[in-house]
Amino acid sequence: MRIVRFGLLSAAILLTPASHAADNAAIKEKAAVCAGCHGENGISQTENIPSLAGQPDQFIQWQLVFFRAGSRKNEQMQPIAEQITNEDVRNLGAYFAAMAPPTAAEDKDPDLSKKGAQVAVGRRCASCHTDSFAGTKAVARLAGQREEYLVKALHDYKSSQRVGGGGAAMADVAYHMSDEEITAVSHYLAYFK
Amino acid sequence: MKSMIHRSVLALAAVALLAGTSTVNAQDKSKPLKKYESGTKEFWTHPPDDWFLGDETEAQKGLAPPSGPPTGASDAELANIVKKVKLPAGFKMEVYASGVLAARQMAWGDKGTLFVGSFGLGNVYAIKDNNGKKEVKTILKGLNMPTGLAFKDGALYVIAVDKLIRYDNAEANLDKLGDGKVVYDDMPSYAAHGWKYIAVDKEGWFYIPFGPPFNIGVPPTSVSQIRRVDPKTGNAEIYALGVRNSVGGDVDPRTGKYWFTENARDWVSDDLPSDKLNMISKLGEHFGYPYCHQGDLPDPKFAMGHKCSEFTPPVLNLGAHVAPLGMKFYTGDQFPAEYKNNILIAEHGSWNRHKYQGGRIMRVIVGPDGKNAKQEVFASGWIEGDQGYLGRPDDIILAKDGSILVADDWAGAIYRISYSKK
Repeated sequence: MRIVRFGLLSAAILLTPASHAADNAAIKEKAAVCAGCHGENGISQTENIPSLAGQPDQFIQWQLVFFRAGSRKNEQMQPIAEQITNEDVRNLGAYFAAMAPPTAAEDKDPDLSKKGAQVAVGRRCASCHTDSFAGTKAVARLAGQREEYLVKALHDYKSSQRVGGGGAAMADVAYHMSDEEITAVSHYLAYFK
Repeated sequence: MKSMIHRSVLALAAVALLAGTSTVNAQDKSKPLKKYESGTKEFWTHPPDDWFLGDETEAQKGLAPPSGPPTGASDAELANIVKKVKLPAGFKMEVYASGVLAARQMAWGDKGTLFVGSFGLGNVYAIKDNNGKKEVKTILKGLNMPTGLAFKDGALYVIAVDKLIRYDNAEANLDKLGDGKVVYDDMPSYAAHGWKYIAVDKEGWFYIPFGPPFNIGVPPTSVSQIRRVDPKTGNAEIYALGVRNSVGGDVDPRTGKYWFTENARDWVSDDLPSDKLNMISKLGEHFGYPYCHQGDLPDPKFAMGHKCSEFTPPVLNLGAHVAPLGMKFYTGDQFPAEYKNNILIAEHGSWNRHKYQGGRIMRVIVGPDGKNAKQEVFASGWIEGDQGYLGRPDDIILAKDGSILVADDWAGAIYRISYSKK
């Protein structure tokens, strides 16, 4: 009778809204697809691929919805996102948000970080990304993100390949940034502790 | 197509650097004005990067646009909203359709299809009623902020920032609308206050708002205005000036005049200036922006010697940071008789006020002359705590039976509000 009881228990978990699906086997299986590129534990070891661990729940969800709607374009992500349901989107958001964010390595170029800190003030990054750059709600965590990915993301915004949410705020901000500013601020944020 | 309006290369936009205080009079007037050169192509493709942040004071820092649940509200969350929303006696709200992500302006097709635009997602939806069950179809994808819609002579019109697109015989082709035909495009391509709304008048021309690409500044001559556009020919006229960000309006069934809502400038304070309800009495009226706000508040930087008496005052000040968007005259027969020709306004609610307000539906009682207008709350309950939303109403449309439908881009849902005598 153990099997029957187990069956009832799973049903009860699914029906309880409080039991968030982060530890649910099905979502782990879905998220395994992500790990191929975004890394085990959501920390990317691959160039130009972002870490997802510790990103705000809503930020992950929005990006998946943007990929699915085609308003964010990416050859790898779009076909994957097209197949996921609203429930998957919510579950994946909770799953990655619950993971421990990457911790920054030792900053080997503090002078560049100093410049980057000034850029961050001048471009008002903290207004949306918060003072700790941990992000909030629909706004991305930047602290500890891969440096070359931050450069890539800013260039994508600058060249209008990516629009983003928040009334295109990032596209408008990045357009006015010089390459030097992008290099400096990306370094600063990648090593921000 | 040729248009009567040419973009000016003469206008110079300037934006004030506001000092670190939230009171109007204490602002540091000695700081120089920032200047933007609008005579460059770049200005029109990439507006100033500080169009919604940058003018805030130290006390206002950290207030940024909130973002709703990306997949909309769940059934349980919608049930909670229906329970929480308060209405006058005899009125009832229910969920008409869910899964309409980022839902904005609505328009009825002749055969009963409800078309719905969206914000950043770029989708346009068609909602069909299959014996009471609502089917939500995404019929267009990848458009640039297709917030405004209209339906006329069998065609669906979508306005996506800088393109007014016509899709012929739309209701028969929901699964293959194609690329449509651009019928008017003399519009800047920037996103900043570039999302739009359409109101159709009796001659079939469209009223379309043009917001400035910044919070406050002297606008180039082709923006901060309402245009009236003929979708048949692409001809256009500038109908009103001195308008900031308007995303809603309706033609008065009594007079044919265009009334519209307007979002006031940001970063003065939590309680100033008020958002407005305006009426255009004659072609070319100026509504004050950027010189004068709410009919009686000269801008601390941009009044530049102008007096508020030079401009058309609002019909009604609706309140600060309430964000009035879609509005409709109530012309149905279902609601009590005293609602006839009242205006119902969907308030999207604050994003940069410390304690949110708006996020509700207001009822404005006013005669055709626009005098002695008064407002009362019609439906409220979408705000939770100081800075939380359960949903954000953004448009209203009447249904055939006299009930109203309300679009909510936060919850990704359409509600129906109906009345029946006890």
